[in-house]
Order: sequence, then C-alpha cells, then structure tokens
Amino acid sequence: MIARDRNVKLDSDGVARTRAFWLANKPGESAAPAFTPDAPLWWIVALALVVALLVQVSYAPMLAIRGATVSFVTLLVAWYGVRTDVARGLAFGMIAGACLDAIGGGTGAAWTLSTGLAGALAGRLARTWLADTKLALVPGVGVLTLVRYAAFAIVIAAQGHPLALPSVHIHAALVQSALDAGVAYLALLLVPALGGVPAYRR
Amino acid sequence: MAALVALVQIDAAKSGKPSIIAIAVTSTAVFAQSAVAQTGNVARGIGQTLGDAPHLIDDNARLRARTIVLQRENDRMRESLAQAPELRAIAAASANEPGSIEAMTIGFDPENVSRTIVIDRGTTAGVKRDDGVINAEGVVGRVIDATPATSTVLLVSDGASKVPAVVQRGRWWGIATGTNGRVRMQYVSQDAKLKIGDVVVTGAGRSFRAGLKIGTIAKIVHPEGALYQNALVEPAVAFGRISRVLVVPH
Repeated sequence: MIARDRNVKLDSDGVARTRAFWLANKPGESAAPAFTPDAPLWWIVALALVVALLVQVSYAPMLAIRGATVSFVTLLVAWYGVRTDVARGLAFGMIAGACLDAIGGGTGAAWTLSTGLAGALAGRLARTWLADTKLALVPGVGVLTLVRYAAFAIVIAAQGHPLALPSVHIHAALVQSALDAGVAYLALLLVPALGGVPAYRR
Repeated sequence: MAALVALVQIDAAKSGKPSIIAIAVTSTAVFAQSAVAQTGNVARGIGQTLGDAPHLIDDNARLRARTIVLQRENDRMRESLAQAPELRAIAAASANEPGSIEAMTIGFDPENVSRTIVIDRGTTAGVKRDDGVINAEGVVGRVIDATPATSTVLLVSDGASKVPAVVQRGRWWGIATGTNGRVRMQYVSQDAKLKIGDVVVTGAGRSFRAGLKIGTIAKIVHPEGALYQNALVEPAVAFGRISRVLVVPH
C-alpha cells in the first residue's frame, strides 16, 4: 500500500517519509531528508543532453558573440545538479563533459573534469536557499561557467597544451558566463518549473 | 398599319437593304438572344462542373502532389547548382594534390574555446595526425586528432596554430600564427618591404608543401625597437562557411 501512495517515499533504509515529513523538516534542521525528491526523469535529461550537444557542435560559430557561445551543456549540468545532489551532479557533469571531449577532440579529459566539477558545485546548491531563487541561481550559473572555464584551462595546461592567447580566453570566459546567466534567467522566467519545487515547500 | 408595314418591307426588299423594322427587331433581339445564350452556357458550365466535381477533387490532389514533387526537385537542382562551383574547385584542388582525401565538415568546437572543425574522415580513410588540410581557397589547418571515423582540424586562425609562411612577392620568411580570428605573420625581417595586399603562402613544413595560399596582408606593424616586423593577414579561407576540404597526407 505504501509504495502506491505518491506522497510516501522510501529512503535507502526503507524508512517511509511523507510529504508532511518534508514540510516539517526544513533545510538546516537536524532531521534533514536524505534524498532529493524532484530529480528530473533520466530520459528527459538524456534527450536534453543530446539536443544540447548537437546544437553546440553544429552551430557553435554561428551562435558566437564576441568569440564566446552560450554553453547549453553547462546550463543543463547546472540544472540537473541543482535538482539532484553533489554525487549525481558530478556524475552527470562528467558524462556530459566526456561527450564534449569525444566530439570536440583534442581536449583530452579537460571538459570531463571541468564539467564534472561544475555539476558537483551545482549539486552542492541543491536543497539550499540558493537553489530557490532566481536572484541566486542566475549569478550562480555565471559563476559556475567561470569556474568551469578556469578548471578547463588548468586541466588542459596540465595535459601539456596550455590555452594560447590567455587574455582572449579570459574575455571569452567572461562573455560566456554573462551569456549563460542571461539564458538561465530567460529560461527560469519563461518556464519557472525548471527551477523545481522550492525546498521549503517540498 | 399592316399596309404600312407591308410597304416598308417591300421597299426594303426592292432596295436590297434591311428594313427599319428588321433593324429594330434584330437590334432588340440580340440582347435577349445573348442573355439566353449566356444563361444556357452558365447552366451547362454548372452542370458540367457538378458532374466533374469528384474528378476535380482527385485532379486537384494529384496536381498538388505533383507541385510538391516538382518543388523538391527544383530545390535539389538549385542546391546542386549552388554546390557546383565548390565541387569543381575542390575537384581541381584534388587534381593538384595527388593522394589527398576529400572530406566534409560535420562539426565545430562545441564550446568555441579553440578554432577547430570536425571532418568526416578518420584513420580508416588514411587521415593521420599533423596532416595538412586545405580547400580550393587555401590553407584550412592541420589535423590534431584522428579517430577511425572523424578527425579534428586546428584552423590556422587558432591561437595555437603555427605554420611556416613566405611572402610570395619577396620570399620573406615568417611564422603564421592564429589570432583566434585572423592570422598574424610574425618574425618577418625588418628589411622586408612588405605591402598591403601581398600574398602569403606556406613554406615547406611538416604539414604543408610550399606555395599554398594562406591569405593576403591587411596591415603591417613595425613594433618600436623590435628586431622583426609583423603583418596581419586576412585568411584566404572563409572559416565560417567551410564545407568541403582536402586532407593532404604529409
């Protein structure tokens, strides 16, 4: 009977946690829930990743503004991370990054590691007040983009191929972070459901 | 009255001309006859249309389908026509480069961090790392990564690209380095008399044979107190619309 009730979920210990339990245990309290209830469906995430990669690979130069493009993959990883947790954000970020490395070529594991890091950082925001407001999410995406770009530059330098013309890349990273934040804002404005159910009302 | 009519008619018959009565009657009758005839034609037309309606629907559907087929055929022919000059040019370039491998661009660097393209030929087709890539316009770049099915090409406009270059007119040497957009020819001797519009070609190197066009000089820079001068080169290749390329094995 319990499994059929949509308001009652079982955690890894098999303990039933009801919606009332969620309402009673707000973030920061000692009995914080052990799992995130509104992770996007895996096939939606997979489909979105395929679309994001195709758009990015096929139209990157056409979408470039001052040498930088919107990183749909970063936006997707940030979205998934914020809706899940650190572990799943890291895993999805690494998968998305590995796809970028495979498709782009010549970058070794730089995107794998940097995008994984971005996913983990986004996952760290999950179920905190930061994940509940556009005011924090939008600049958060910008910061995440910068961190990812910096991590990419570090990893690629460690692999023996430092980025040429660093000042050009710093400029591109700043433009990309602004673009990503702008697109995140528009997305949250047009489709508020992307932000998930705020933690306080879960 | 009857006698008057008879007189008019007889008189007209004698003179061989139509009588006034005949003229008046025929002139009036023509309108009525026309109206009746037209009504009849319209009625026949409506009847025919009603009778043909099922066929007309079929004909219309068939003609619409035919129009779509012809439109598609037209689009294909327009596309073939648009591709023809590029195909001719690439075929000519291929004839000049024996052993070259023709390839198509299938992607770009996803994050635009580097100026690279992905082509649809890999190690299976004989592409190797450091092979030169050209098209009909000039030098495109060199292969930096080759998988069995695809290869990644670093464009000459990328900041990490360095190609030995020669100014065609005076044979002055330099290194063509990308600026993430254009190409800068560096380390040109100060005594070289460079001019705007001079053609820059490849020098013999690891990836390219000598003489392939890189671009034309758009700006000359003489840094104060430097041993060398630089020149900004407008690439011969329009990197935004590369579709067919040739991989030239080194």
